[in-house]
Amino acid sequence: MTDTSPNPAAELPIKVVARDVTVSYSGKQALHDVSIEIPDRSVTAFIGPSGCGKSTFLRCLNRMNDTIDGAKVGGSLTIDGQEINDKSIDPVVLRASVGMVFQKPNPFPKSIYDNVAYGPRIHGLALTRPELDEIVENALRKAGLWEEVSDRLNHPGTSLSGGQQQRLVIARAIAVNPEVILMDEPCSALDPIATARIEELIDELRENYCIIIVTHSMQQAARVSQQTAFFHMGNLVEYGPTEDIFTNPRDTRTQDYITGRFG
Amino acid sequence: MTDTPDISPIRTAVSKNLGARYRAELRFRAAGLAAVAAAVGILVILLSSIVSGGLPAFTVNELELTVDLDEELVDPSGERSEDSLRRGSYSRVLQNAIRTEFPEVTGRRELRNLFSLYTALNATRLMDEVLEDPGLIGTQHRFTMPLADDLDLYLKGLLVEERSFQPQGTLSLEPSDAGVVVRSTATDFRDLAAEIARTLRARATLLETEADRLTERAQELSGTEAEDMLYDADLNRRQAADIRARLEIDAGPIELDNSLPSILVESEGRTVRLASLARNGAGGTGEYLLGGDSVEAENAWSIQVIDTPVERRRVSDQLIVWTRALEERGAISSTFNTYLFANADSREPELAGVKGALYGSILTMIITIIISVPIGVFTALYLEEYAPKNRFTALIEVNINNLAAVPSIVFGLLGLAVFINAFGLPRSAPLVGGLVLSLMTLPTVIIATRAALKAVPQSIRQAALAVGASRTQTVFHHVLPLAAPGILTGAIIGLAQAMGETAPLLMIGMVAFIADAPTLGLEGFTEPATVMPVQIFLWSDGAERAFEARTAAAILVLLALMIGFNALAIYLRRRFERRW
Amino acid sequence: MSIIAIVALAIIVMLAGGFYVGRSRAISAVSGATARLHSLPNFHGYYVAIWTGLPAFILLAAYGMFGSGLVDRLTAMELRRDAAALTASFETALEADTETLALAETLAVLRDRADGVAEAMADLRSASGSDRDPARLEALQSEQTDLVNQLATAEDARLGRRAELRDGVSDEAAEAGASVRALAGFELAHAPRERRQLFLSDARRIATDGLASRASPELDAAAAVMRRHADQIRNLVAGIAIAIAFGGLIRTRGQVAAAFRARNHVESLVTAMLFLSSVIAIMTTIGIVFSLLFESLRFFSTVPLTEFLFGLQWSPQIALRADQVGQSGAFGAVPLFAGTAMITVIAMIVAVPIGLLSAIYLSEYAGPRFRLTAKPVLEILAGVPTVVYGFFALLTVGPAIRGFFAMIGIDDVVTQSALSAGLVMGVMIIPFISSLSDDVINSVPQSLRDGSYAMGATKSETIGRVIIPAALPGIVGAILLAVSRAVGETMIVVMAAGQGANLTANPLESVTTITVQIVMLLTGDQEFDSPKTLSAFALGLVLFVITLVMNVIALRVVQRYREKYD
Ligand SMILES: Nc1ncnc2c1ncn2[C@@H]1O[C@H](COP(=O)(O)OP(=O)(O)O)[C@@H](O)[C@H]1O
Ligand SMILES: [Mg+2]
Repeated sequence: MTDTSPNPAAELPIKVVARDVTVSYSGKQALHDVSIEIPDRSVTAFIGPSGCGKSTFLRCLNRMNDTIDGAKVGGSLTIDGQEINDKSIDPVVLRASVGMVFQKPNPFPKSIYDNVAYGPRIHGLALTRPELDEIVENALRKAGLWEEVSDRLNHPGTSLSGGQQQRLVIARAIAVNPEVILMDEPCSALDPIATARIEELIDELRENYCIIIVTHSMQQAARVSQQTAFFHMGNLVEYGPTEDIFTNPRDTRTQDYITGRFG
Repeated sequence: MTDTPDISPIRTAVSKNLGARYRAELRFRAAGLAAVAAAVGILVILLSSIVSGGLPAFTVNELELTVDLDEELVDPSGERSEDSLRRGSYSRVLQNAIRTEFPEVTGRRELRNLFSLYTALNATRLMDEVLEDPGLIGTQHRFTMPLADDLDLYLKGLLVEERSFQPQGTLSLEPSDAGVVVRSTATDFRDLAAEIARTLRARATLLETEADRLTERAQELSGTEAEDMLYDADLNRRQAADIRARLEIDAGPIELDNSLPSILVESEGRTVRLASLARNGAGGTGEYLLGGDSVEAENAWSIQVIDTPVERRRVSDQLIVWTRALEERGAISSTFNTYLFANADSREPELAGVKGALYGSILTMIITIIISVPIGVFTALYLEEYAPKNRFTALIEVNINNLAAVPSIVFGLLGLAVFINAFGLPRSAPLVGGLVLSLMTLPTVIIATRAALKAVPQSIRQAALAVGASRTQTVFHHVLPLAAPGILTGAIIGLAQAMGETAPLLMIGMVAFIADAPTLGLEGFTEPATVMPVQIFLWSDGAERAFEARTAAAILVLLALMIGFNALAIYLRRRFERRW
Repeated sequence: MSIIAIVALAIIVMLAGGFYVGRSRAISAVSGATARLHSLPNFHGYYVAIWTGLPAFILLAAYGMFGSGLVDRLTAMELRRDAAALTASFETALEADTETLALAETLAVLRDRADGVAEAMADLRSASGSDRDPARLEALQSEQTDLVNQLATAEDARLGRRAELRDGVSDEAAEAGASVRALAGFELAHAPRERRQLFLSDARRIATDGLASRASPELDAAAAVMRRHADQIRNLVAGIAIAIAFGGLIRTRGQVAAAFRARNHVESLVTAMLFLSSVIAIMTTIGIVFSLLFESLRFFSTVPLTEFLFGLQWSPQIALRADQVGQSGAFGAVPLFAGTAMITVIAMIVAVPIGLLSAIYLSEYAGPRFRLTAKPVLEILAGVPTVVYGFFALLTVGPAIRGFFAMIGIDDVVTQSALSAGLVMGVMIIPFISSLSDDVINSVPQSLRDGSYAMGATKSETIGRVIIPAALPGIVGAILLAVSRAVGETMIVVMAAGQGANLTANPLESVTTITVQIVMLLTGDQEFDSPKTLSAFALGLVLFVITLVMNVIALRVVQRYREKYD
């Protein structure tokens, strides 16, 4: 159905493998037989028009669809070769290792410190306060926020600016040291300067994580990602190295989309 | 496939204490479910206690007697005028009728006792029947009246615990000077005698333990308190010794007193209450409560035991025996309790009904509807559709929200100070009650109406204004009709609330005992009245036990009305609901 | 009434006629070309109809409300005037009567003594150190009680003597052939308040051919006077109403013309009416504040505010006399505040966990089916009238508590206790808390939940660490509203808490609350001016202020919270 090359970046180890993943909401099918292999330590971008199923697929990867009444997921999805829809896999454990960042920054109504410490605390990752302090500081440093907030860790997370909030949320996600980070249009609510900072951050994080990002902006996909997947009406139309997709799309739908004929 | 050195350290770390986290999750979930279950359980207990308490009040045991409407008694001046008929001695008529049922009762005290089978207020009801149909005078008339409240409860099995035995032997009754001697050819009373001896022994033991406890306590104390305790202990011991002595007298009969169950021997229209039981269990001595002739070798007889002792109940053995006799003769029948609905309040529970309160509620609610609904809707219309957004409207808004949370009793104080004392409106009247409840309900109606108006989409207003309708036309022709179902439901819910309200009405004197239902008409609004919830409050503290069931029954009537109202609201909401 | 009904009908007819006249006149003014009219013909009709009907109906409504009161007042005045001579002779008799004088003297002496005792008690109470003397205080207290009883007896005797004299005067007058009306007026003037009302209502019954509670020539005479006044006023009102209606019709009919801005007139009338309606809510608050304040100020002119707010003893019955209660120390409201607080705390201990947990369960855990069945249950609990809860406490909960404590060996537990009232009030508050918290919890944005779940939090962790903290202001607001509701709740405590003004921390004893005392003080026959009655308004003021403060804070908090997540 699609001429997808399964592994566009052969030099990197494969982290996530999807085989014929389907999703339906209360009987209405939103995703049709998606198969994809996503490499570790790189950024993979999902693009496509609104409502094409990007977020839906993203939510499969940490089983957030479980929290939606009436959502049904079929097919096979593995991370590091382990089937994640398996009964033996606890979504709690899975989500601890697959972090997620949402479109709108959603810091909890708590202090900056408590926001970042949320994951380590619920999962019991730090036994002592100094340990926790260290985790928080590391996460904030990795998220590039430490310099800005180190003197006001007790301020509420909601008091930060939009871009800072989004970086705070990223810090919160990486505080538990996940393997995969999912980002669902992380910059769509931000101004260009904040967007640029996040893009820089994503580029830095690529060193250590498998990052999957949904974006509406073609430029962004081109700037930050190594692989790009194009979705259309619940189907994965084309997947390959970002350069190839943008310079030499094989499917006319992809071509139409990146040249702005629809979307 | 993976060449990551340490396979997901985070997963192993998280998995470690997963069990404890899920147990916490389960506990929390269980707590939530328990809370819901508690709420549901409480409702079930509440409703079932009221239903089970109230159901007995929906039936009544009626006594039907043939009364001789003797002209001399009923119409003393013989002129058949209303005045003369009103002066008739109807209670004598009733007394004569009941006396013919029990001709053997002659003593003054016994007669007074006999007349307490029904309440004397029934004479008025008889008078009303005669006034209605003077043709009855001089005839034998079948008159039904409710049995006295306690006896009614007795027949419903709510007053005492009792049981009866079918004996083995044949019975002989021999009247003598010291009462009547009861003998059975078998030892039919043996179990009863043993049981009573056991009861007495247990009582003695209880007294002794209490005495020991008091003595012990007294040793820890000193002074008068200790002395008092020792005195009490001594008293207890002496009483216990008395009881034991009574039991130990060799083969003598066991005396039955008011603290022990009553044992009645019944045979063919005779009833004897035992005053003592022979130790051999073959009989005893007693006194006649019904009939009085002697009997030899009678087969048809039974033993009736009323386990609740006389001193712990409100009706005597004699009244119970008479009631049972009347029931046996077919003079008492259990029917649906029409008194509960056809009568207003009364001091006598068997005649008390909710009609007065129901009428009062209706009149009060009419005033409440007439005032609170239009004013509430107008206010909401003004605030939502007309008012400029300025400090004054903000003040009105805050004010309405606060009024909604002002305790209802404060509205009562307002009613007392303003409507009654300043305006001089009559106390206890549905008019004032309705005014007070209107003010109380107003915020509810306003808030519901505003919500309904807000739900009408702005586009409808713009469409109407665009074709040149004035604001008033827009509001009254387009917005209001669309908001009507919401307004109606809100108003009904507010009114149902007002209908159950009690406290403010106590302040304005709607709490008096009112024996006449108010007129269902214009003048009824200023007549003294009470309302359903207040009637419930009044009855709930009635001294007679029968009022307890009446109260629960009145609650059931009120709840039925409120459920009706709410069902109507739900129906209207479903029927007209519109979603945009 | 029937004349008024006819008049009302006539006005309705005129109103309808007015509408028609206004309409057709407008049409004929432009000879059918209605487009030339400034307003639609119907508006001309409305305009005429409103000015025809409205003023007249307002008059009729006022008559309906105040008519009978006015008639009563006129009748009483006229009868009293007739009885002036009798009243004068009664007064001379009173002045001349040695027994009355002697009794008055006794009363004065007793009052002096009571004053002295009260003063001494006050001194003792405020005394400190070595001057304190509990034994003497007790002695004084029992002396005071004695004095109260003596005073009551003396007062009764004085009233009895007065009644005797009154009856004597009226009997004499009757024999001397005084007019029945004078006798009626005399009876009316010198009867106690409630008898006076009964007299008037009996007279009214006779006047309207109803059934009076008794028959007497005096009543008949009063009824005749009353009938005359009633007729006069009714006819007057009927006449004026018709005249106003007619006048309105004529005047506004004349205004109808092509250029007449009928619609604007009608619409501003409608707007004015809507505005006036919304002012009623304000008037209600003003009415509450002023009536409470006014009566309370009168109360505080006899009982000092500090005494009321900080006094430890509440027994309004001991008040000896209007000008004396201040010293008797019987109006210390602290036991009521304590009782109210205790019951409220018990209620909250029941209601907050159950209400909050069930709200959480229903909104976060339960499936839609379960929610659909469980929510109505809570709504039913909310709709049950409080008097029913009171009965439930009295009938079921009180005895159950007593039985429970008897089972574990504590025998002297009363059925009417703070515990039983508090438990049942808690049940009443459950749905209140649960529905308010449900709203609050549902308005926590889904994105926060998603954020937490995406971190791998379990449901309870999400609820406990994210949702509750986020909803906390709203929940606190809800609880505050619930507390205010518990403080103002009346029937449950009246029926279940007992009446003892005990200052106790033991929930198994009976306590009393602010609302219970208001009810106790204002039900039954009381003269309106006694401090006892006025103290109810002071309590009402305290209640109003407490609940108002809590409501304002709570509504603010909830409002802020809503704005935050909108
Ligand atoms: N919670 C949901 N319930 C029902 N349908 C949903 C839900 N979320 C998404 N959908 C549907 O699934 C399809 C894919 O949506 P989504 O994955 O959100 O698209 P996008 O690519 O814009 O992120 C859409 O048609 C949408 O209507
Ligand atoms: Mg999306």
